[in-house]
Amino acid sequence: MSETVLAAAALSKGFRSGEDTVRVIDRLSFTLSAGQSMAVIGRSGSGKSTLLNLLCGLETADAGDITVADQNFEVKQGVASPAATCQWALLRKRTIGVVFQEANLMPAMTLLENVQLRASLAGHRAGGEMHWLEQLGVGAEAHRFPDQVSGGQRQRAALAMVFAMHPEITLADEPTGSLDRQTAEEVADRLFEVQRQTGCALVMATHDQALASRCDHCLDLGEGG
Amino acid sequence: MSKIRTLMLLVITLMLAACSELSGNQGFAGLAASVDNTSDDEFLQPGPGDPLTFPGDFGPHPQHRIEWWYLTANLETAEGEPLGLQWTQFRQAIKPRPADAVAPPPENWPLEAAWMAHAAVSFDGQHQFAERLARGDVGHAGATFAPLQVWLDDWLLSEPSTGEPWRLTVEADGWGYDLQLANTSERVAHGDNGFSAKSFDGQGSMYFSLTDLDISGTVTMDGTTHQVRGKGWFDREWSSQLLKTGQQGWDWFALHLDDGHKLMAFRLREDEGGRDFRSGTWIAPDGTATSLGPDQIELSGEGWRESETGRVPERFRLQIPDAELDIEVVAPEGQYWNAGLYPYWESPVTVEGSHTGVGYMELTGYSK
Amino acid sequence: MLIRAMTSHYRRHPLQLLALALMIVVATMLWTGVSVLTGQARESLAVSEESVAAREAVVRADGQPVTVEDFVTLRRAGVCVAPWLETALGDPARRVIGIDPLAMACFDVPPAGDSAVGVAGELTGDPFVDISEVTGGSGRAEQSGQLSLLISPDTEFLPEGYQRRSFQLGPATGELADSFLLNLDALSLLVLFITGLLVRSVYHLGLAQRRSSFALLERFGVTKSRLQRLLAMELTLLTLICVVPGVWLGQALANRLGQGFGLALDSLFDLSLYAGEDTPVPWQAGLVMLVLVLGVCLVDRLIPERTGYQSKPSEPAVLPWWVWALMVAIGVEMVIWAFSLVWVFVGTALVFTGIGGLMPGLLARSADAVARRQSPGAPLGRWRYRELAVMFRQLALPVVALQFAMATVLAVQALVTTFEDTFEQWLAQRLSAELYVEIPESASAEGGSRTLADLNGLGDWHHVRRGKVQLPDINAEGEPVTTDLMALSPITSLVTDWTLLESVEEPWTALSSGGVMVNEQLARRQGLSLGQRLTVGIGSASLTMPVVGVYADYGRPAAELLIDGAGLPDDFTPSFQSFSVNPGERSVKDIGQRLKDEWQVADLVIRDNASIQALASQVFQQTFLLTRAISVLTLVLASLSLLVMGWVFFSTRSWYFHLLGIWGLQPDAVRAQLRRLALLLTSGVTLVALPLGVWLTWVLVSRINPLAFGWSLPMAVYPGFWVELGVVMALIGLVIAWLIGRQLNGQVSLRPGASLAGGGER
Repeated sequence: MSETVLAAAALSKGFRSGEDTVRVIDRLSFTLSAGQSMAVIGRSGSGKSTLLNLLCGLETADAGDITVADQNFEVKQGVASPAATCQWALLRKRTIGVVFQEANLMPAMTLLENVQLRASLAGHRAGGEMHWLEQLGVGAEAHRFPDQVSGGQRQRAALAMVFAMHPEITLADEPTGSLDRQTAEEVADRLFEVQRQTGCALVMATHDQALASRCDHCLDLGEGG
Repeated sequence: MSKIRTLMLLVITLMLAACSELSGNQGFAGLAASVDNTSDDEFLQPGPGDPLTFPGDFGPHPQHRIEWWYLTANLETAEGEPLGLQWTQFRQAIKPRPADAVAPPPENWPLEAAWMAHAAVSFDGQHQFAERLARGDVGHAGATFAPLQVWLDDWLLSEPSTGEPWRLTVEADGWGYDLQLANTSERVAHGDNGFSAKSFDGQGSMYFSLTDLDISGTVTMDGTTHQVRGKGWFDREWSSQLLKTGQQGWDWFALHLDDGHKLMAFRLREDEGGRDFRSGTWIAPDGTATSLGPDQIELSGEGWRESETGRVPERFRLQIPDAELDIEVVAPEGQYWNAGLYPYWESPVTVEGSHTGVGYMELTGYSK
Repeated sequence: MLIRAMTSHYRRHPLQLLALALMIVVATMLWTGVSVLTGQARESLAVSEESVAAREAVVRADGQPVTVEDFVTLRRAGVCVAPWLETALGDPARRVIGIDPLAMACFDVPPAGDSAVGVAGELTGDPFVDISEVTGGSGRAEQSGQLSLLISPDTEFLPEGYQRRSFQLGPATGELADSFLLNLDALSLLVLFITGLLVRSVYHLGLAQRRSSFALLERFGVTKSRLQRLLAMELTLLTLICVVPGVWLGQALANRLGQGFGLALDSLFDLSLYAGEDTPVPWQAGLVMLVLVLGVCLVDRLIPERTGYQSKPSEPAVLPWWVWALMVAIGVEMVIWAFSLVWVFVGTALVFTGIGGLMPGLLARSADAVARRQSPGAPLGRWRYRELAVMFRQLALPVVALQFAMATVLAVQALVTTFEDTFEQWLAQRLSAELYVEIPESASAEGGSRTLADLNGLGDWHHVRRGKVQLPDINAEGEPVTTDLMALSPITSLVTDWTLLESVEEPWTALSSGGVMVNEQLARRQGLSLGQRLTVGIGSASLTMPVVGVYADYGRPAAELLIDGAGLPDDFTPSFQSFSVNPGERSVKDIGQRLKDEWQVADLVIRDNASIQALASQVFQQTFLLTRAISVLTLVLASLSLLVMGWVFFSTRSWYFHLLGIWGLQPDAVRAQLRRLALLLTSGVTLVALPLGVWLTWVLVSRINPLAFGWSLPMAVYPGFWVELGVVMALIGLVIAWLIGRQLNGQVSLRPGASLAGGGER
């Protein structure tokens, strides 16, 4: 068994809804090792995106512990310290790749430039970006702008951006959610293929059962709030 | 109001306001309502006992503020249609000139007096009116007594030679007249040997008339020249303040009655609550003149004749019990406004009642 | 319900609604203010035109000058004539016209119209006074000029011995007035143009953000035409609400500026601006604004193919670049070669339009080019320039508007500053003497000259005589031209230090030996050049003299010539005389006393240099107040709109700034990027505004001014002011960045907005 890269312990997060607080994530715990994949499933509003946001520090949990690549974030009172904010930013820069359902690319830059931008932010010297685009099957579109390619191609480019930063963890929030079935499968194929090659951990929020079943683990958030 | 009229009005207002120490102004020759009773010592004020002198009094009186030469005529055309006619020339001084003073040179374009001439013809329900303005002392307008000449622009009243009938020529825009005026009676001095009181306080003007002018000549209107004949009435009047505070204007009548009598009567209307001042002269066919005091004349207006310019009484009832006179004085159908800088009413009238006759009526202080 | 859905956007973004409303209010204010002022100017100039338009006068057939007797003869013959006596009073000489308002009663259209009469019913004295005041009759005037008798155009009859003659009532200010108005009109049109651009862009940007909700409403079955009607209603309502305070504010603005403007007209045309306080509420200006706003915002709706909210918010230039470039080229040529002001304006308009068409594309391409040149190792720099390119395209209209506004401000500032500098130098030369003594009418100038000559220890002095002279047969119409004359004697260092625009060698010696100098106005108008011989009718004499110099004469449009007083014929009657004196070792009191003794007068008008200088400077500063005010207000409007637009635009891009945060950029770093981008935007606009501003400066000083006012100015640029303007623009950029930064921090949703699907706009 390889080392644990992502772990959550007793993680809780709620939102105020009028007078009440609706707890979307309640004392959740899991661990994930390098090279493993985990699907997060559940109905809309069950907290899938919230969990992903917590795992990359875009939101702060109300309580609990998150360990990312040996760095531990313990949350008290639901408030992130400035140091933690800074730490999370560094992690997102170099260690955690994030892919959304759409709009992952800077519209004014070509696919290649986007990948270059992301890689350079992660501290990688220019050079390997084209490789990742080709890996994900959009090498031919490298010099096109996002609005000049299809949705599937945009998502592949977004994945290329993530892999170009050599992440230890990839968080994917419905990465194929806006694609048709066939394209979605193609993109998913690429995703798993490259994830296996790079050995990074993958957390993928989805409501696609077939996609979820391809992951090593499955975390069901159920009905949610 | 046309631009030019505004301009004239403003300029004259300014002249009068700036040059007489009055807090307001009396309009031109008293045609607008008076404001202040401040006596202006620099101007000579007429008073009882002031004499008339001839022929000098046909000429101008530069020591006085205001004066006029005034002619009205009830004429008939060759076809027997009535035609009324008026000519007046006013002088309004801005500063008085002592009797022995020399007039300033014309090259300086002095502004010590302003002149205004009015001419009107009332015929067939129409009323034509024209107004002329000039400054004095340059020759543009003026008056002399020997021989008699009163002029402004090309309007001229003159006596060609002593004893000859006078001639009056007026040329206005599209109409005019050219008349011979022969005097057939003695001068009538009104009031106290020529001093005609204009209020109970005693201020007044010097005033005399030629009441029987035989007039003949031509009147041109709408391209037609009419031969006219008839009776005329000529007034000379000068003063330094005509209306006193609170007086709104006057109703003035000069009537030729069919029985040979002549009557001049006026009232100066007071503001609400004031007592109108009435005066007049009853002239017998032989020329004997009797002054009429305020208590000897009854005068009242009845009804209103409305127009955009203002409204005037529709008819007047005039009674002189001493002369057994009780008449109604009515203007013919129509509007007879002299719509110049200071609009006033000037119309021929007919007389009904105890006496019949014709005459002229001037009503001031009625315009809006 | 539908209306709720329609307005939900503004309920969610009240500031956007406020911004649009503010734009309309400010634009209406500006436009109203400008149009009220132009209206006032037009009215007063129309009056002055009426009063100085060419008319007819009566002259004597025997060639003798007309007198008051002729006036009386003509009037008593029934001819409608009125006297007109023009003279100069005071120093600096003020043109005064004596008229007889009573004699003018026979004119249908009075030659001196209402302008002669102030609101209080006074002859205003600007320039009309009662004729008695200029004849010496009232003792006010030093010396009267020549009497003219104007004749009513309706009069046909003229007695024997008299003839008609066309008569110019004043200096030919007609053309000048037209130019002045044209200047104002051009500026107003520019304001309207810029305003239109701005309102349209703000509105369309808001619309772009509402596209998705409109699409949703359409899917719910609301027809497109119904939506458009509702949108039109919404805009109409908003405009109606905003136009009212705008008109009111505009009027207040105009009233504030009106007085200064009045002074400007005063100094230019010797006429008072009597309109002002009680002008009616300028609802027409509000109406124009309403039509403009509805027009620019809804014009696309009228064209079925270009249904507004489906297309991009602001379409890039529809014409190919070379058409715009051609426009610029033609415009530049026109401005260079035009011989009348109108064509200069048309040319300038072409240049502006062309640049407006070219500039956004050019800026975007430049930014893209810079982006390409960034090394792949600095992808954030590349991202910035890519974003900048997008902004230049998306914000094309406000960017162009801001560029125009800045160029205008730059040019006006350069013009005014140049003018002030030049004017001050010129004034200092002109007022090199310390004392100015008016010679009373009764006094003998010769006696005064003798007295001064006999004073030991006195500095330089000269005797100034002003009057009118005739330039026969020099006019195209063959009419003798009357012009101002200034005669100086003796010629001393008081004048020999003048900087002449053009001169022969030893110009002052040449002047003393029978030469003539002309002011720039006269030189331009009559096309005079050095060495040309000029025949001048002075008094009864006719002198032919070579032009030995051209001197600058700023401020008033009148033509003037300068000769040595020693050469004046004896029968020349000056309208004004004075001595300019440097006291040297003598005291002012002493000099004054000597002259009083010589002239046997109790009082003397003695003015010192400083007071005249102060007065003159004040008048001239007012002259440009309006131009400066309008251009600065336009800049304020343009900046405000850029602020609003920039803010709205950045809001639509806020997700991408988040993306940078998601990619691990610290919040401070994201804000720094934002700042750099905003600064790049505003400094880019500043950069392109500079050359346009410089060019416009050149147009103003070298083309428009000579054509409009008769004098030109040296061309100068003021980099200090560029820096100031740059700082202002930078501040605007920082404010935009600060606003967006706040918005980023406050945003809760980390999901990309629906409108960003499809890759976003680029």
